[in-house]
Amino acid sequence: MKRRTLISAALAGIALAATATASFAADWPKRPINLVVPYKAGGGTDAYARAISAAADGILDVPVVVVNKPGSGGLNGANSVVGARPDGYTMMMTSGGSFLLSTMTRDTDIDALDSFEFVAQVGQLQTSLMVSKSSPFQSVQDVIDAAKADPGSLRWAHSGRGGFHHVGGLGFLANNGIEAQDVPFKGGGPTRAALIGEQADFGFLGVQQLAGFEDQLRALAVNGQERDGIMTDVPAFGELGIPFAAVSSPVIVFAPKGTPAEVVAAMEAALAQISAKPEFAELLASRGTGPVYQNGADAKATLSAMKEDAAPLVESLTN
Amino acid sequence: MEIFPALLSVITDPMLLFAIVLAATVGMIVGATPGLTASAAIAMLLPITFYMSPLFALAFLYVIGKSGRYGGSIAAILFNTPGTAASAATQIDGYPLARAGKAGKAMKVATISSVIGDLMGDVLLVVGVGFIAAIALKLGPPETFAIYFAAFVVIGSVIGESIVKGLASALLGILVAMVGLDPISSEERYTFGSFDLSNGIGLVPLMIGVFVLGEVFAQLEERRKATGETKENESSADGNDLTWEEYKPCLPHAFRGGFIGAGIGVLPGLGSAIAAFISYGEGKRRAKNPEQWGKGALEGVAAPEAANNAVSGPSMAPLLTLGIPGSTIGAILLGVFLIHGIQVGPTLFLTDKELVYKLFACGMLGILVYGLIGYFGATQVARLILKIPTNVLYPLIFMTAFVAAYSARGSMFDVTVMTFAGFVGWLMRKHDFNIAAFVISFVLAKGAEETFRQSLLMSDGGALIFVERPIALAFLILGAGAIAFRIRGILKERKLAQGGLGDA
Repeated sequence: MKRRTLISAALAGIALAATATASFAADWPKRPINLVVPYKAGGGTDAYARAISAAADGILDVPVVVVNKPGSGGLNGANSVVGARPDGYTMMMTSGGSFLLSTMTRDTDIDALDSFEFVAQVGQLQTSLMVSKSSPFQSVQDVIDAAKADPGSLRWAHSGRGGFHHVGGLGFLANNGIEAQDVPFKGGGPTRAALIGEQADFGFLGVQQLAGFEDQLRALAVNGQERDGIMTDVPAFGELGIPFAAVSSPVIVFAPKGTPAEVVAAMEAALAQISAKPEFAELLASRGTGPVYQNGADAKATLSAMKEDAAPLVESLTN
Repeated sequence: MEIFPALLSVITDPMLLFAIVLAATVGMIVGATPGLTASAAIAMLLPITFYMSPLFALAFLYVIGKSGRYGGSIAAILFNTPGTAASAATQIDGYPLARAGKAGKAMKVATISSVIGDLMGDVLLVVGVGFIAAIALKLGPPETFAIYFAAFVVIGSVIGESIVKGLASALLGILVAMVGLDPISSEERYTFGSFDLSNGIGLVPLMIGVFVLGEVFAQLEERRKATGETKENESSADGNDLTWEEYKPCLPHAFRGGFIGAGIGVLPGLGSAIAAFISYGEGKRRAKNPEQWGKGALEGVAAPEAANNAVSGPSMAPLLTLGIPGSTIGAILLGVFLIHGIQVGPTLFLTDKELVYKLFACGMLGILVYGLIGYFGATQVARLILKIPTNVLYPLIFMTAFVAAYSARGSMFDVTVMTFAGFVGWLMRKHDFNIAAFVISFVLAKGAEETFRQSLLMSDGGALIFVERPIALAFLILGAGAIAFRIRGILKERKLAQGGLGDA
């Protein structure tokens, strides 16, 4: 008797919860959405988030609030979102490549492919091979030849071991059978300055870092099959016929696991509209980046493919 | 001189003037409130600035940064709590002054010195922005390491009676700095498997713990010993007024601090806190009355306060021309430029010269505004605060310390760190260990290690790289010379002491 009431009560509860979810999803969003960026204010991913926040006006009825939670290579912010309530009011925007790599190299329970719902990709950060303007290297081949002529003599700069610029650089070296000593710097700005000041022979840094520094730096190739959509003057490894590792960083919005599917779909649709707005592209243009939209399922597929590509390089990193 | 027409156009724009006054006031309030920092305020206000014109937005945030650095001194003097990391060195003498009923006097010295340092930094920026950027580019890892090495010497000058305990404190600071991610290999060190520790120990919670909680614990202990705690000295008119005679000896310290701060501002990433400590150490070394420092010397407020504000101007040079932010505030300002579609970099002075100089002009006006508010308002604030009985004040300080530690990174773990650091600070005080040496070495160790190892990677492990580069060599010699000088001084003192004993 008692047990029966318990069961029916439980069933009623489940039914209630289900209807609550359904109706709840229907009137989402009704309060501001927190978009967690696991990096400092002012960086590349942060710029995307702020552009989304500014361009969301008129598409989402509520403000999108950017919350910076830097630390531990993006895992700090990710940890806070993994544990957040899956109600559609807390989401994370992160640099997908760096996030994926940090989950592979660091001791963490977070899995980049399984711990979150993929909402959508709104942008793309690409790494590229750059030298100082006064460097003798005029082409990628020059760099390869110099490295082969005197193995281990060259120094190259990047923004931190385990990040996607570092792994992209490692891929370039490994695929071309050359060796060079890396010198890690803290973040993109210091890396660029070190390269301009000729503290290193070449570097791997975001192709957008060239914007405004065309007189100080020379970008020899962008790390991709095709040219970047914004920095169109820089040739791609693919077109030059030079082997490379396909590591880039899609800027992806994630929601906590268990966020109602309707909410994820609604946010995905909103992001599609936002990233198509001219205003969004304008805000990003000055940073040398731009909108690159993919729906959640495609973004997940992209990241899975990247994981396979990066696995051997990460293996070489951790051993 | 592009700055003069820029100043003129700013002065004749009432809306902009209003923004400057507002920013100076907001900055002072957040700076003076432990737990609110200028960078947190700027991050919070950032979304509002999207809807302003770029000059408006930048001027507003830039001035908040300046007055916030100054406002931190108010809390440091009144509560022994650094309102911002930059004002930690100000406590060393500021708080004893407040306890002696001279809070107003100390705050006026802080105000004048901040204005002097800040203006020096800004003049340097306006005159030599291109030159500063060129220097910043020349400083690679070996040069930066040599500068850190020279800065380490400062610890020698704050070491008190016991050299062994002073060095032990410095070593402890270095050890604590090692916790977190290895700066080169990104591997975890001393984290004991804790995710929270992989971020390293934060400067803000550590400092608040060691300085503030440590002090509160010490006070509690005193109270238990001495029942019927006497209230802090009533402030008197004499304690709040500052005469020219009193400020005169502070002047050389303010100017020196201004130069030190400006020099450190050129180096991206060293920051106001280090500038303040170096200036304090250097000031104490050269002071006519070093025994007074730490017990309430006005010069001991002037030296760090001039230095931490002088960082502000020159640190804009690497930011604007190279896109390297020297501080959190710098990083956010960089974001503002970019959000408003202004490309930061060497071309900025070709494309947006007028805007940049107007921004500098706003900064200079902002300095004068916070200077005036601070000079005439500080006494009133001090009077109000000192009326609060200690049994109310200490719990209040305790609470703000918790808020401060939490809000810096929004992390409960930081509160734990702060509490632990509080006990460490209290124990260190009890056994005469050197807290200043501990904090300074904590701050310097990270950068020193990173640049040292970067240099060795560049040279394939050869230490000669430090000698082959003239700038690096110069700083290394400077540092080594200062250490030798210091050791000689100590030996001399000992000889004298022994000689004295022999005569007896």
